[in-house]
Order: sequence, then C-alpha cells, then structure tokens
Amino acid sequence: MTPRSRAQFQVIETEQGRAVTRLHQLIRQRDTLRGEFRGHWDAISAGTDDADLERWAAGALELALVNAGPECQLAFWRISVDLKSALQLRELADFAHAAADICRGAGSKATLACLQALPNALRRLGRASEIVLWSRGLVRLAREGPESVAAVACRTDMILQACDSSGFENFVASGLKYTRGDRVRRRAFFTLEDRLATQVLEQSAGALIFSRNERVLKAFATALWGRPPVLRGAIAPPGMQLPRRVNIAGGVVRMPPVFSGTPKGMLPQLFRACVAHATAHIALTRTRFPIGSLKPLQMALIGLVEDARVEMLAMRAFPGLRRLWAPFHVAEPTEVITAPTLLARLARALFDPDYADPDGFIKKGRALFAAERERLDDVSVSRQIGGLLGNDLGQMRVQFNARTYVVEPVYRDDGLGLWDFGEQAQAETDIFELMVDAARFERRDDADNPDRRRNEVEPAPDAVGRARERAPDERGPVLATYPEWDCDAGIERPDWTTVRAASLWPGDAGAIDAALDNIPALRARIRRLVRGAKIGRHERLKRRSDGPDLDLDAALDAAVALRAAELPDDRVFRTMARRQRDLSVMILLDTSESTRDPVMPSGTSVLDVERLAVAALAEALAALNDPFALRAFASAGREDVRVFCLKDFGEPYGAAVKARLAHLEPQLSTRLGTALRHAGTEIAYVRSHRKLILVLTDGEPSDIDVVDPRDLVEDARRAVISLRERGTDVFGVTLDPSGAGSGAAVFGRSQHMPVRRLEDLPSRLAELYFRLARR
Amino acid sequence: MRLEAYRIQSEPYYLPVAAEVALFEAAYASRLPVMLKGPTGCGKTRFIEYLAWRLDRPLITVAAHEDMTAADLAGRYLLAPEGTVWHDGPLTLAVRYGAICYLDEIVEARQDTTVVIHPLTDARRMLPLEKKNELVAAHPDFQLVISYNPGYQSAVKDLKESTKQRFVGIDFGYPAPDIEAEIVSRESGADRKTARQLVDIALRSRNLRGQGLEEGASTRMLIHAGRLVAAGLGLEAASRASIVLPITDDLDMREALTAAVAACL
Repeated sequence: MTPRSRAQFQVIETEQGRAVTRLHQLIRQRDTLRGEFRGHWDAISAGTDDADLERWAAGALELALVNAGPECQLAFWRISVDLKSALQLRELADFAHAAADICRGAGSKATLACLQALPNALRRLGRASEIVLWSRGLVRLAREGPESVAAVACRTDMILQACDSSGFENFVASGLKYTRGDRVRRRAFFTLEDRLATQVLEQSAGALIFSRNERVLKAFATALWGRPPVLRGAIAPPGMQLPRRVNIAGGVVRMPPVFSGTPKGMLPQLFRACVAHATAHIALTRTRFPIGSLKPLQMALIGLVEDARVEMLAMRAFPGLRRLWAPFHVAEPTEVITAPTLLARLARALFDPDYADPDGFIKKGRALFAAERERLDDVSVSRQIGGLLGNDLGQMRVQFNARTYVVEPVYRDDGLGLWDFGEQAQAETDIFELMVDAARFERRDDADNPDRRRNEVEPAPDAVGRARERAPDERGPVLATYPEWDCDAGIERPDWTTVRAASLWPGDAGAIDAALDNIPALRARIRRLVRGAKIGRHERLKRRSDGPDLDLDAALDAAVALRAAELPDDRVFRTMARRQRDLSVMILLDTSESTRDPVMPSGTSVLDVERLAVAALAEALAALNDPFALRAFASAGREDVRVFCLKDFGEPYGAAVKARLAHLEPQLSTRLGTALRHAGTEIAYVRSHRKLILVLTDGEPSDIDVVDPRDLVEDARRAVISLRERGTDVFGVTLDPSGAGSGAAVFGRSQHMPVRRLEDLPSRLAELYFRLARR
Repeated sequence: MRLEAYRIQSEPYYLPVAAEVALFEAAYASRLPVMLKGPTGCGKTRFIEYLAWRLDRPLITVAAHEDMTAADLAGRYLLAPEGTVWHDGPLTLAVRYGAICYLDEIVEARQDTTVVIHPLTDARRMLPLEKKNELVAAHPDFQLVISYNPGYQSAVKDLKESTKQRFVGIDFGYPAPDIEAEIVSRESGADRKTARQLVDIALRSRNLRGQGLEEGASTRMLIHAGRLVAAGLGLEAASRASIVLPITDDLDMREALTAAVAACL
C-alpha cells in the first residue's frame, strides 16, 4: 500500500509525559510541601507503571492548580498511599479531579472533608465503581448547594449505611429538589436535621433491601402462578404519606419501602408473604367492584372477606402458604372494642380455624364464611358477606376512622385494588380521599404504560451540567487525520479528514439493564452460545504423522494396505488441539441522524434497537473475556468526524460503559470511510492473533459537504480493502429493510450481513459474532 | 437368531400420554424412520423400549457423542491373527438382521457422521459400506429411530435440514398431571398422594422455564424423589435433593424454588 495511506497523528493538547514533571516542579516551589512530598511520592511510585503514575500526577496537579491549599494536597497524598492497595491509581486520580471540581464549587474546607471521607466511603461501598458515583453526587452538591458539602462529607458513614451509591445520588438530588433556593433549609436537610432527609434515607434503605430480594420474589411468584409479576418498590415523595401496605393497581404490585415494626430477621418472610398474597389477588380476583353507595366501613369489610376468600382458594392449591401467612396473624381477643381490633380479629378468625374468639360479631362472620365454603370461587361472596357484616358493625356504633385505617395483618394489601372508582368517585370518597388519590395517581401512571422504561422518566443527572472543555477548539481535540478517496480526480487526498474525540455525558445505566431484562429469551440464548464457545472446543486432529494416540481408522487402513501389498500411509496418529480464542473486536456504531427514526409504533428508534443489540453482544463478549472496544461515530463535514469512545480495550465492561451507551444520541452524518480508518489505527495497537472490526450502520455513507454519496461509498470500500490487507477483518451489519443498500459494495458480499427486520437485530448480531469467532 | 441379546425380555412399563403408540405403530407399518423430540427425562427411551417389546423386534441403542465416526456406526476391519476381519457396527447389524436401531441424542454427533444414515432413510433403504465394497439392503423389518432435545441447540449443533426432513416426528412433553402422578407412583413405589405432591412441585419449577431456569423438573427427577421418599426420607428433603439442587446452581433460584416447594407441602 502506498505510504500516503498511513495515518498521521496530529496531536494538539495533551499532558502525557509531562504531568509528573510539572507536579515535581510545582512542589519544588512550595517549601511547606516539599518535605512531605518526597516520602509520599516514593511510596506511591513504587511498583507502579508509568501510565498510571501519569494519571495520578495529573490528578494531584489539578488539585494543586485549583488552589485547594496545602492541607488538601497533603490529605490526598496520604490517602493515596493508604488506599493504594484498595484502589488503583487511576481511580484515585479520578477522585482527585472530582475533588478539584468540588473545590471550585464549594471551597477548600469542603474539599478537605470529602478527601477525609473517602476511606469511610470505600469501606461502606466496597467498590471503585461505586466511589465514582458517590463522588459525582458530591460534585453536584458542590455546584448547586456548596454550603452543605462539608456536612454531607462528615456524615458519610451514616448516610452510606442506609444507601448505596445510586441511593446517595438520589439523596443529593432529592435534597436539592425539595429545598430549591432555600439555603437554610438545604443545610438543615443535608445535616439530616430535617425529617425529610431521614425519610429519603429510610426509603433508600428499604428500596435497597427490596432490590436485593426482588429476583427471588419474582421467581417465587412466577413459580406459583405461572406468570411473572410486575413488582415495584413504592416510593413516595417526601411530604406525602408513606405507603404502609402493599398496593395493587393495574396489575402492578407496589411494595412499601419500609415495614417499621417488623424485625429485620422476619423481613424476607414478610416480603414473600406480601408477594404471595398480592399475586394471589392478581390471579384470583378477576373483577372489580363498583363502589356504588357503599360506606367506607363496608368497603373495608368487603376487602377483608375478599382477602380471606382469595387466601382460602390459594391455600387449597398450595397448602404450604398457610405456614407462610400464619405468623403474621397476631390479633387476640381483648376488652377494648374498636373497629381496627375487631377487623384484625375477624381476619384471623376467617384464616385460622383453631383461633378461639368469644365475640358474637366474630362468630357471625365465621359462620357466614363457612356457609359459603363450596361457593368460594364466586367473587360475589365477598360482596355479600362483607356488606352484611359492614351493616352490623355500623349498627354497633364502633369507632371507625377511614383516614387512619390500615389493613391488618401486615402482609395484606391495602384493598384499594379491589374497587372500581368510576365517575362518581368524587362524591362518595372524600373520606378515602388521601389514599384514593394516591391509588389513582399510581394507576394512571401504570395503566398507560406498565413497562415504561426508566430512561424516559429520569434525565441523566449530569446532562445539564457545565460543559468542561479541555481543548480550546470547541469541536473537541483532534485525534488524527486521514486521507480520503476522491472519485472524480481518481486519487487519494492526504490529510483530508480530521477525526476528533467527542465526549459523552453518562446517562442512566439502569435503562440498559431494564431494556435487556425485556428480552430474556435472547439473553438466555446468548448465554448458551457463550457457554458453548467458552469451553474452547477440543478439536481432534486425525491422520497426523505424529501424536499421542492412534487414529484407529487410519491405522486399520494402513494395516489393510500392508496386507494388500500396497504402500501404507504413515499418518496413523491423532492428536488433540484446543482452539484458543485470540480475537479482539472493535464494534463501530453509526449514530447518525437517521437513527432517530422510529422503528415500531411504540416509538423505539433505530438507535435504541442498535443500543440494545450492542448491549446484548457486549454482555456476551465480557463473559467470554474477548478483548473488545466500543466506538460510535458521527460526522459534520470532513473537518469534524466525531468518534465517541464508549469503551476502551482495557476497560472492564460495567455500569460506566452502559451509562455512556445509554446516553448516545442520534446526530449528524455518516462518514464511514474515515471512521473505519481510525478504527483500524486504534485496533492496530491491540495484540491478538485476529482482529475484527464489526460495523453497525443503518444507512448509506454520506456527509454534509459531499455532494455525490458514491464518493463516500467508494472511499469506504477502499478503507475496508486497506484494512484487510493489513490483517484486520472488517464485517458490516447494515440495517437494510429494502435490500438495496450499498453494504455489499462496501464490505464485500461475504463480509456483509443485511438485516431486513430491525427487531431481529439483537439476536442476529449475537449469532453473527459467534459465527465469526469460530473461524 | 443373531440379535437375541438385544431383545427386550419383559414388558417395560409405559403409560401412553396421547396417541403416540398408535402413531409409532402406523409409522412402523411402513418402516418410516421416526424422530422423537422432547426435553430430557420425558420417557423417550422408555417409549421405544416399550414399542420394541410390543412389536417383538430387537432394539439396538447407540448413544451418540461428538467423537463418534461413521465407522463406529457402520463397522470397520479389525485385526485378528488370521488376518483382517470385518466387524459390523451397530447400525449395520440392525440393517442386516432387521432390528430397530435407536440413535439417542443424535445431535451430539458431528454432521459428517450423521450423513451415513441418509441412504437408509429414503426409499432406497440401502447402507453402502465402501470399505467392504458391499451394499447392504435393509432387512424388511429394519427401522431407524432417532431422538434429540430441541431446546439445547446452539448455533453450532443442529440437525441439517436435509436430515430432519426424512423423519416422522413424535413430540414428547410432560404428561398431564394425573398421568404423571400415576407414572411416578408406579416407577418409584411412592404412594399416590406423595406422587401428586411431587407433580405439583414439578409444575412450579416448569413455570420458571425461561424465567431463571433452563428446564423445569423432568419426570425422571420426580421418580428419583419418589424413590427417596419410599426409602424413608421426608418429602421436603427428597425434593431438595433430587429437584432443587440438581436443577440450578443459582442461589436466588434455589431460594425461590425452595419457597415454592414449601408452599406446595
């Protein structure tokens, strides 16, 4: 290939190779720090490689240059030495950059407090990736509520006991939101003096316990009823009453975040009891009752009888559920007659035939229920019995406060899912007002879109942050320039296009996980493929001239040939070879404007499907330990071909990568050739036997400053050829419903896979990889 | 007769689930090759044993695996003092002397091995033995039966279309709960009530197929559990040992299954 095609690097701004020197130069000028620095530097640099040391030095340098003061710098060095085994220097450097941000926003005292809190945070959170999120929360607080940073840092232990890192971000976000503009209130919130703050923390803690148990609970309910339930942790905005019981609305089961009063050891069983009861309702309560002219007391009783009916039916199918629910029925006969106690006793009486209760009302309820034993399948039974009992109780003039009424026992739902509130709800239900509104709100929330994905609800916390530019040119630092083929002139123009690095704000990694949860079949399939590929197939190589074993067929052929006085073939051995996987992959994702197009009526865009496909494949690649990198590209003319680095080869695949992937936005155009050349340059540095660039694009190469698109097609084709000549495989996956695209022209027919139906992309991409990796 | 050793001596217990016995007999009447598809532990092998007994044919079973070569099926020369001797493989034995040849888990074998059955599965009913230079015409009573689990296919292992289309298919699945309880009771020696509870437990696990488990509990697992109960173990412990522990290593799934089992008892 001609020398002109070799990429030339034009690097403008980098501190590589100079941070360590500059740091030393700076410290030399500071008398107070010089002495301490030597010792710390020796400890840190011992056994560390240069690149990591560079990064750490860059972090320390920024902390110095931002005027954090000598105490902060000392603290940082000390912590780096102390935590050198727990955290990598890279991660410490990232924290230093965050600390510099904090200093800019909140001053050096606050920064010092944060630095001193780092060991505690690490102890509570355990992992470096969590520290990143924690420091992000602090940075945000420094920007928007600087006076509170020190307070939060000093209480790190207490706060992180209740929540994990994303809970912490939530805590900061909630605090800022609810005390907007009011400095005094804000301080009160973040010093945990405000009741709201403790509520938010409590909810986070509860949500954490729930999320740890969620998978088991879901599987348990699925095993019982055959349908996976939709379980959510209920979060109430502080100020509104915290839900104290499970709520069922629109097929969604909402678990309250906190069950105060239940000992921690009983919580798992309580969760199971809640889920079993709620899903029993979903399976067995087929219709809802219209409220009509019912009084609240009657509604409560009908709900109670319905609970008993559903549980009785469930226990017929699953006798063991009795043992699950029984410990929570604790009502006993007492002298005091109030509605809540009577109702709790009635609930127990209907549940437990061995429970003795002398009260006449209870006895009547029991008798009525027992009489309908054969008719329990009929939902109207509850309505009848409950209505009767409600009348009786009303006539007994027992105190009943609908506002404060809470269903007992604790695992049962609040009963609101039973009712059809209808149009005339307003007139009749001012007593249930608070709870009704909550149920209505939640039901509207979910009735429209029970599978609403999280990324539509939460904007990325940093999305509106200040842009932190590192290069003077607002277009992003130049990475390299490449030649491009000019069709008319028939020559390659050197240094024609410029590739720039573009930064990506992190989005919501949880959205990726949620989207992947929606395709369990594909994920399971991919896992199986991974398992099969991972085992590294043992290949039997037969008919070898050497080997530890005899190849029986070959040996027999040879013996036969000998007897027949022919010349035998002496390759009678066989050996085993384990096929090693030595393949590195770079996935190049096209994020041009055309990927914004909606695919399905639900509004999912092409980019969303591409994102999902890449996430599924990345999961598989991470499981296989194949080194891989993710890049996205979009171009705005030849001077500005943007490459987004989603994942580097050395970087582990985790929440950070998912967050970047989640935040990709469709924009600009597709200058494919340049992107390919750049990818080739980057992958050339990876040491592996095989190198593969997998391109995912939805359209034709094009750009705003190129009139004839065939130019770019031809350029891309040449890029592919030159890469292949250098030993890098290129494979293109094009989203091509019409089948008339130029994918085959660019990649070659055998190295190209057109995907007609976009919905198939995730599964086909994964299978493609396994096919390619096998060769 | 040469294949006495392969005859089924006594009636194997098999309780028909649907019309599969009639279906197989109809296929056998024309000696059509049959493919038994279904998850593990559903009675495929027991079924073919039963049919072999019923039709009074010898049954030659071959468990296919990845290292199996065409010579393993068809036969090869072996070296003996008096010279080389041709030794028929199991497939050739069945073809020559009119037995039912049952290739179990045929997908495990490599595809260049499975093509050896092609000439037997169409109208020719011939088995060419190139090494011996012989063309064996199938005995009129010969029939080929294969089995495999469709759920475990990876992109790598699958039957070729050309192979699949030569067979008549019978689907095997889990029987209806009453029938399954009867089978479990008969095979394990446990009483009807226990068997019914075991089937209940199996249904819970089958609900989790694709939702955390690869496959639900098979009938075979229930029979194991029943045998443990008949030997004196409690039902909960027996279920744990023969169903929950083997079926998954995922701690969350084990916990959920244990809770579901407890709910059933």
